[in-house]
Amino acid sequence: MVTRRSKPRITVATRRALWGWVFVLPALAYFAIFSFYPIFNAVVLSFHSKSVLSLRPPVFIGWRNYTDLLGSAQFWNSWKATGLFTVGTAVPLVILSLLLATLIVSRLRLQRFFQMALYSPAVIPGVVAAAVWLLLLDPRGIANQWVNFVLGMTGIDHRWLASPEMVRISTILVYLWGKLGFFTIIFIAGLGSIPNSVREAARVDGATAWQLYRWITLPLLRPTTVLVSIMATILCMRTFSTQYLFTQAGAPREPINVVTLGIYTTAIRDHQLGLASAMSIILLLVMFALAVVQFRVSREAP
Amino acid sequence: MARSERHGARGGAAIRTGRSRGGRRSAPRSWQERLANAAGWLVLLIAVGLVLVPLVFMFIASFMPSRDIMRMPFSWWPDSLFLDNFWQAIRGNDGKFLFPRAVFNSVLVSGSVAITTVLFATLAGYGLTKLKFRGSGIVFLLILSTLMIPFETVMIPLYVVVTDMGLQDSYPGLIIPFLLSAFGVFLMRQSLLSFPDELIDASRIDGASEIGIFFRIVVPNMLPVMAVLAVLTFEGQWDNLIWPLLVVQSPELKTMPLYVVSFMDEKSTNEGAMVAVAALASIPMLVIFLSLSRFFLRGANVFSAGKE
Repeated sequence: MVTRRSKPRITVATRRALWGWVFVLPALAYFAIFSFYPIFNAVVLSFHSKSVLSLRPPVFIGWRNYTDLLGSAQFWNSWKATGLFTVGTAVPLVILSLLLATLIVSRLRLQRFFQMALYSPAVIPGVVAAAVWLLLLDPRGIANQWVNFVLGMTGIDHRWLASPEMVRISTILVYLWGKLGFFTIIFIAGLGSIPNSVREAARVDGATAWQLYRWITLPLLRPTTVLVSIMATILCMRTFSTQYLFTQAGAPREPINVVTLGIYTTAIRDHQLGLASAMSIILLLVMFALAVVQFRVSREAP
Repeated sequence: MARSERHGARGGAAIRTGRSRGGRRSAPRSWQERLANAAGWLVLLIAVGLVLVPLVFMFIASFMPSRDIMRMPFSWWPDSLFLDNFWQAIRGNDGKFLFPRAVFNSVLVSGSVAITTVLFATLAGYGLTKLKFRGSGIVFLLILSTLMIPFETVMIPLYVVVTDMGLQDSYPGLIIPFLLSAFGVFLMRQSLLSFPDELIDASRIDGASEIGIFFRIVVPNMLPVMAVLAVLTFEGQWDNLIWPLLVVQSPELKTMPLYVVSFMDEKSTNEGAMVAVAALASIPMLVIFLSLSRFFLRGANVFSAGKE
């Protein structure tokens, strides 16, 4: 009796579980082939010497790709370029988007207009952004004209795309311009989720607008701020288009030779797949460490 | 956000008696508050103005001959509409009129990717939430972990896989690596968590098959979220430069970003054609954005939703 009764129940559950597998299987197969297998493959390849062009099978060379990288000035330079770009972009990005979100939220009118206007560069393809900025930053372009106007000078070329320092600043400008709206909107969502009652209470107690912001809003916004900072950091470390297109247009490569660009040139121009794989694995490990930090921090945050 | 805003304004006005000094929400009263309010407007207007400059410049300059674009000072009001840039943009640097082909390629690739991503992500999301099986939690974690793998770190390994399959320089090679995204699975799973089980159980009792339930009950009710995912995915692919750069060799397979790049060569100096093709490449995205701006602006909530 008991077995006969529970039997159909088990089959229903099993049937449902089987269907669950069927629904998830395409996704699982996709990630297995296009995420996990390539990484596994790259780990293997990073211990080999393999050229794109040659038909010879990869030659096992142990840790040599890694030791070569750690001893190569170019490798460290590309991490320096990525580091400078990431810090130089993420910090102003977080501060500016927080400021703009705060200002937009405190407006009684035009909130939507401001959000849309700030977000609009994000929908423009990165290639288009780079093309337009190449013209703006041209020696004869608007950037020179306006900066000279503000500084009260005439005819000075700030070498936006020529001097090593300026070309770094230029890539940062392009990226800031493109991503500002996105992070502003995340901050606006974060500000919207702070219960008004808390602020009202402080206001009744006689807190000024600044005190309210400094001691109530900012602490309650901390989870969003942490999230935005880490998202911005990870995004900046992935930057590729701007740097690639600027070097294509003749800007000096050295100062903006970020890690992703280094991987691309190693694989495509130098045909060294093993070395490029080793670079990818190192980038992956660094990003993964950052993701773990992100997970930890977002858990700790109240 | 806008709603809570209005609420805040009302609340502020109601409380604004006695010792309360108003705050940012209510109409400013003291001169400090008026000043702060005015400064806020000034900063916002300057910021928005600066952000819009490159876009406005792009559209104005696309109607100007190259020498006018590069003339100092730049004239924000061109004296005539110069349409030759667009002709050259469509004709292409090589004179092969590959512009329509590039548009077609981009629409094909971005469209296919958007469709498969939405389909497979909804399937997986449904399986993970409503057809729970032993190990579904681990499967979700596995998929979620790939969200931490940025594309740039797997592009070379992926390139090796795609070349091994003999798919370089082909449409499948452009599309297959993006058939699905971890973000898509994540988004659909989160949205399906709140899908009413009663609806599914009721149709099960009515004898509907699992596939029938999915397509007749789940999909019609999830269409708004699926549309958001489709638009975001399409936009992301339209913007994709690095992957086509790796796999495409023949000019006929160039997607829009590659087509724009062909105008950015160091040696060619046709600024007019370059800015015109840039404008043409961004118009579809701007149109989608302006008509669906509500979705885009709300899309950011996805990221903060998990934080609450």
